Amino acid sequence: MTKATVVGVGMTEFGVHERTLPELFADAAFPALDDAGVTQDELDAFYFGNAMSGLSENETHLAPKVATHLGMTDVPFQRFEDACATSANAFKNAVQAVEAGVHDTVLVGGVERCTPETGLDTPEMTRVFASASHRQYEQPAGLTFPGVFALLTKRHMHEYGTTEEQLAEVAVKNHYHGSMNDRAHFGGEKTVEEVLEGPVVADPFRLMDCCPFSDGASAVVVTSDGLGDSFDGEGVDVTGVGHGVDAVPLGDKDSLPETKAARDGAQEAYDEAGVAAGDVDFAEVHDCFTGAEVLATEALGFFEDGEGGPAAAEGRTRLGGEVPVNPSGGLKAKGHPIGATGTAQITEITEQIRGEVGARQVEDARTGVAHNLGGDSGTTVITVMEERA
Amino acid sequence: MSLTYNDWAEAVRDGELVGLECDDCGNVTGAPKAACTDCGSRSLSRVSLPVEGTVYSETTVAVAPEGLEGGYRVGVVEVGETRVLGRLDDEAEIGDEVEFLDVFEKDGEPAPVFGSK
Repeated sequence: MTKATVVGVGMTEFGVHERTLPELFADAAFPALDDAGVTQDELDAFYFGNAMSGLSENETHLAPKVATHLGMTDVPFQRFEDACATSANAFKNAVQAVEAGVHDTVLVGGVERCTPETGLDTPEMTRVFASASHRQYEQPAGLTFPGVFALLTKRHMHEYGTTEEQLAEVAVKNHYHGSMNDRAHFGGEKTVEEVLEGPVVADPFRLMDCCPFSDGASAVVVTSDGLGDSFDGEGVDVTGVGHGVDAVPLGDKDSLPETKAARDGAQEAYDEAGVAAGDVDFAEVHDCFTGAEVLATEALGFFEDGEGGPAAAEGRTRLGGEVPVNPSGGLKAKGHPIGATGTAQITEITEQIRGEVGARQVEDARTGVAHNLGGDSGTTVITVMEERA
Repeated sequence: MSLTYNDWAEAVRDGELVGLECDDCGNVTGAPKAACTDCGSRSLSRVSLPVEGTVYSETTVAVAPEGLEGGYRVGVVEVGETRVLGRLDDEAEIGDEVEFLDVFEKDGEPAPVFGSK
């Protein structure tokens, strides 16, 4: 059943942006409003995501600053923070508010600046990202975020025999997909050998197993099913949203490779939408590290546990494969401006289902899934979107 | 009986790993909390965790955060019925037996260090 309809999407290129956070966000929000054909006086609320600016830019209470910059001071705005799942959670709340009749039409989006060129250098930003690990029981040991996903992935390799070559195949695929996306931070033809020759960040991850630090913004316009045909923008329906959770720190999780939050979120979202994993035509998943994509494709039910690595190596997740994963290039190649990532996934899924993405178009893209993971997988928001009936 | 972070840190410095056992469902966790993560009970008892355990997962952090030099190892170690995260002081791999040997202090905050027996 349709919960809400996305009628407009917009995003900046992900990369390096010498612009302030409000300026950067405007470059996603205005295109989203224009795509929808929605004027600001038709908006009832603004749900805004940013994860790190309190730490990285000494910038808090950001929603009113961004809203003021957009000339939008007469609708309620609020900020969401759930680490990397920040704007997916803003989106979930907007969808539910629209479905419940609290609002008719909502602007949702996120912005972040993470590059060394515009902000903190790599050691400082590594510290800022590590703030999502447990303050008392993980940070003092020096756990980093590549380290968190290395712990999840190495356990997966131990239990199922997943190999570094299979992980590298994920990076190669996503760079290839990213090469067809002019908004991607990186792209191009890479080889497994090139990935395996890179410097180690946290084993088993080498540089090209890791998503980049990116600057960027994304925004979408969400309206009710009933208003879904009343704007210029072609609507794409949100039919399921699941919000799975797990304990933090890692030691309190029952399993690391399972990513329980993603499994619970997927079940909830699939049940709401009345679809099964086999009905999904393509997905945008949270490949902050190559291993995270392998875990995600299993948690979403595309492959049996332990088959995610071989499936990537066999091309089953490549464009043209049975379930293309991250046709945008994913976080890996498109980039990962933390608070912008969730609604950037929604943007890609909307444009894929509309059939607007050119060379990276998934054939017969009617049902897409977004998997946006926060922190050490303590939060995961899963969204099912379908062609509007 | 409650277990605070300060109690936990003091115990680690004294060479003891402490956790909580739920009085109602028996769930054991390795980090202090105010209620049971399995059943929500607020009736929890401080327990001493085994100092010997098995490596559940591990990694070598090459790119470190500000304030640390890369090249150190971090692991999740199964101790009894729960798991704790700490430093690993040698090449212990998943499945290897390790014991709680030492304490690493970062900015006055302790992390347990495990190594081969």
